[in-house]
Amino acid sequence: MRRYLLIALLAGCATRQEPAPEAPATPPVPEAPAIRENVAIAGLMQSARDDAAAGRLVQAAATLERALRIEPRNPRLWNELARVRLRQGDNAQAAQLAARSNSFAGGDAQLRAANQAIIEQARTQP
Amino acid sequence: MARRRRILRYFRYALLAGVAVFLAFALYLDLRVTGEFEGRRFSLPARIYARPIELHAGLRIRQADVEEELRLVGYQQGERETPGWFLSQKNQVELVTRPFTFWDGPQPARRVKVEFDAGSVTSVTDAEGKQVALARLEPLHVGGIYPAGNEDRLLVRLPEVPRHLVQELVAIEDRNFFSHHGFDPRALARAAFRSVTGRTEGGSTITQQLVKNFFLTPERTLKRKFTELVMAVLLEIHYGKEEILETYLNEIYLGQDRDRAIHGVGLAAQFYFGKEVQHLSAAESALLVAMVKGPAVYDPRRHAARALERRNLVLHEAKEQGFLTTEQYSVARSAPLGVVPKPAMGTSPYPGFVQLVVRQLRRDYDEKDLRSEGLRIFTALDPRVQNAAEHALANRLAQYDKDKRFGPPGIEGAVVVADPQSGEVQALVAGRDPRYQGFNRAVDAARPVGSLLKPVVYLTALQEPAKYTLVTPIDDGPFVWKSRGAPDWEPQNYDKKFHGIVPLRTALAQSYNAATARLGTDIGVDKVLDNVRRLGIERPLRPFASTLLGAVELSPLEVAQMYQTMANGGFKTPLRAIREVTTQEGRPLARYALRVEQAIAPEPAYLITAAMQGVVREGTGQALKTMLPPELGIAGKTGTTDEQRDAWFAGFTGDRLAVVWVGYDDNRAAKLSGSASALPVWGDIMAALPSEPLSLAKPDNIENVLIDPQSGLRADGSCPGALELPFASGSAPAGRAPCASELGVTVQEVKQKAKSWLERLFGR
Repeated sequence: MRRYLLIALLAGCATRQEPAPEAPATPPVPEAPAIRENVAIAGLMQSARDDAAAGRLVQAAATLERALRIEPRNPRLWNELARVRLRQGDNAQAAQLAARSNSFAGGDAQLRAANQAIIEQARTQP
Repeated sequence: MARRRRILRYFRYALLAGVAVFLAFALYLDLRVTGEFEGRRFSLPARIYARPIELHAGLRIRQADVEEELRLVGYQQGERETPGWFLSQKNQVELVTRPFTFWDGPQPARRVKVEFDAGSVTSVTDAEGKQVALARLEPLHVGGIYPAGNEDRLLVRLPEVPRHLVQELVAIEDRNFFSHHGFDPRALARAAFRSVTGRTEGGSTITQQLVKNFFLTPERTLKRKFTELVMAVLLEIHYGKEEILETYLNEIYLGQDRDRAIHGVGLAAQFYFGKEVQHLSAAESALLVAMVKGPAVYDPRRHAARALERRNLVLHEAKEQGFLTTEQYSVARSAPLGVVPKPAMGTSPYPGFVQLVVRQLRRDYDEKDLRSEGLRIFTALDPRVQNAAEHALANRLAQYDKDKRFGPPGIEGAVVVADPQSGEVQALVAGRDPRYQGFNRAVDAARPVGSLLKPVVYLTALQEPAKYTLVTPIDDGPFVWKSRGAPDWEPQNYDKKFHGIVPLRTALAQSYNAATARLGTDIGVDKVLDNVRRLGIERPLRPFASTLLGAVELSPLEVAQMYQTMANGGFKTPLRAIREVTTQEGRPLARYALRVEQAIAPEPAYLITAAMQGVVREGTGQALKTMLPPELGIAGKTGTTDEQRDAWFAGFTGDRLAVVWVGYDDNRAAKLSGSASALPVWGDIMAALPSEPLSLAKPDNIENVLIDPQSGLRADGSCPGALELPFASGSAPAGRAPCASELGVTVQEVKQKAKSWLERLFGR
């Protein structure tokens, strides 16, 4: 319930217009589970996911960067941004961002696997 | 008779010719009036904004800093809970945000309560007491990119302008405005009469004033007066009173803020009252109207009495003409001027930062568009950081001047502060006078960097863990470099001594030249320079051995880029001043996205950071220990060039990177070392700001080993002064220090093994 309220609040902050359409169709990379420690981060993450789901990838990336300014060492945010770049077709950045995520991932095997998948896909996807 | 007729005929021809000439002239003017008035769009400067504060529980920010920013943005304390209001109490601030269009869309007004404790936000709640995840405040407007004449304005539509403002304007400037046809013979006659009696009065209608400002030069000749009159009539033929009035209200010159010209009632309302024009009272409007006659003469900040007198005259005229009731008049008349104190800003209070913004924008936009299209530019500038950097630099430089008594010109300096993770430039100080819009030392001054380059030499060594670790002994004995066609190079140490065999980390911490030159030439100058490029330096460097000791000229901004990559675990993130650009209406045009590139492997990046922490813990940067808490774990490097012409300090905490340069513009010997002059500026900046401790994410292939500093071998708990140092896996010394336990495995090691095993099992 509280999460929905949050999403509603954040959505209220931003009625958005999206520049150029994008998002080439790519097979989805598994999503890492959302985190709950910081409500600000959780809200931004959800908002970015909603944007990404709706194909508003520029907006999603901007929101993730906003979250990264608050928690620059949060590996999930870096992973999420890598996924967005991959969908935008920016393979080189996707791989770099996934590597950045790995550098903060510690022993989170699941997240490391997700990052590895991005790096692999960035290498093979046209 | 015939002669008379002939004269009459000539007269008629002359008259016809005169009329024809006049018609042609009128037609020409008509074309100009319609063409230019129609096509005329006000040139609107690009508006530059600082980063917005994003309030959320856990944010490290002092209550006083939030209040200060609210004040600067124009929020006022008071009774009414309307947008732009705030109320400061013990450990909490309540406020109502103003609606603002950000890059990602408009954000409506919102009431929030923010609670603080010990320099952090503890909670953010809304009017109903519900938790607010994130409250983004309106960003501070920090300058613009201006059209010719530095004209600044905020366009307003006529319906936004209070009725009493228009009435007061008409009452004092042009009482027959709504009935005349561009010029007013009665007003002219009155003006002529008064000028005879010694009192000057304009007599120009609002239409004529607009024509004068719009189309004509300020000379005062009869011909120009005539042209003005004809054009005013033509303007009235083509356009309605409301269009003319609206244009006038946006055009009119109403004051000067240093080099910035304040035009239009929209901007003037902000400039004098900190309000939007629609909220101006009758008295406030009257003051703006009073200034139309001469913004300098009736400047309410400089000539309050004169301004008050004319304001009251405006109010009186408005009452006389029935626009104000006697009661409204007496209320307005007794109101104070109500002008808010406003620090002079000019085109920007932060010209150095704006220069960087313009430079980055020029790659993507026409200069003309930047100066006329009213673009909105959202930057990373953090006013708190900027102010801390300006103060630290100015105060310390003043002190050095006093101590040295070199006389003018004084010693100079420059500062760049950035976020190492995002690469965002938070502050940039171009010289000791931060308001001076000239030479930008932070961006354009290329100065020898001296020992600032040493970390790259050591980084290059640490990329070969089989050969070099933090404790590898290296030789700081006399060193001679011979190369054909050049004189021998024999670098000396700062203390004129040689120190024999020292551990690698000590050679960096103490900034030994001979050891560094030997190490760098052993690894290869090319390899070192290759790393300098990887770290983000784009200008070509000479492949000489002396380059190793900093015979390289770089700007403070370039140095910041180089250190950013090291501070960010080897990930280069191009330094950026700008986040987003939108059109005037808020339509997004461009984003300057965060990009990362792994330039250096995580392990050597981690090791060099640890070595630079040693500089502050036990080396040439030790003076910082008295200025900042040791828990910050600061990593940094001092730099001093020949004869102490340039003094540097570059370093970083967990979330802030700063580079400070100090020296003379004319390259005189400053007789100040990096640690004695640049470092204290750096320390003052960091001491004024909250910082996260530096703790890099430890790469997988790094292990921490307890080392006995005496022998450089493995230590245990019984070794006095043992240090835990990082090593690339398998590169730590195998031997045990004499002080360590005789047993094969020390207690310490068992503990460490267990700890790392647990870490692997459960993550960190």
